[in-house]
Amino acid sequence: MSANLHLRVPNRIEELPGVSEAVEALGREEGWTQDVTYAIVLGLEEVATNVVRHGGSEPGSSEIEIEVTSSDDEVRIEVRDSGKAFDPFHEAPEPDLDAEVQDRQIGGLGVHFVKVLMDETSYSREGGRNHVSMVKRRS
Amino acid sequence: MNVQVDHHDKVLVARVEGRVDSSNSQDFERQLQGAIGEDVQAVVVDLGQLAYISSAGLRVVLLVAKTLGQRNVSISLCALSHPVQSVFEISGFNRIIQIYDTQADALAAAG
Repeated sequence: MSANLHLRVPNRIEELPGVSEAVEALGREEGWTQDVTYAIVLGLEEVATNVVRHGGSEPGSSEIEIEVTSSDDEVRIEVRDSGKAFDPFHEAPEPDLDAEVQDRQIGGLGVHFVKVLMDETSYSREGGRNHVSMVKRRS
Repeated sequence: MNVQVDHHDKVLVARVEGRVDSSNSQDFERQLQGAIGEDVQAVVVDLGQLAYISSAGLRVVLLVAKTLGQRNVSISLCALSHPVQSVFEISGFNRIIQIYDTQADALAAAG
């Protein structure tokens, strides 16, 4: 059995809470654990926020396409956008996790969450669009 | 998202409720910074009612910790749910900001 969520939203930060709600609703239907739901909602927010902030398009001028497929073993998340080419897994800064409070920088933390919380991540540029793919296993 | 404030002598307790994400982190920053007065000696941020926080919210916690550190005001967090605790651990923030299981523990340490 698998269930699917397919959304197209304008590239605006204000759209993202609605995406989170839709994903949480899918998680309730599919019986995801609290930790799996948190990881997926967080991963999607971090990737989509990067697209809005660093995609180079005026907010609201383009679309982010989101597809979430839940099966018995895993949840697959695909995010596509037509912003400038950007591989978050290799181009985002690495956070210095050992820095003291006063020296600690915040950049790159969102991508770091995605790398740690997801079981698989990949990026490709296809037909002028960025394609971020993430997989979270359910156990 | 909402920030409720209580004063326990010179210790300020800020209870954060709801969700903090990229859409409301600026509001979170305003509410939290606005709640912290000049005469405060310690700040305890109670996250017991925080359902969700992303890197945008962690950025605010870090900014507030930096500001307070420069004023020699201590900051601690308490009552984190399991997923929220995980996010603080993955970020390494648990090594730079004290985290307590309960508000009572945090207040005892701050007092």
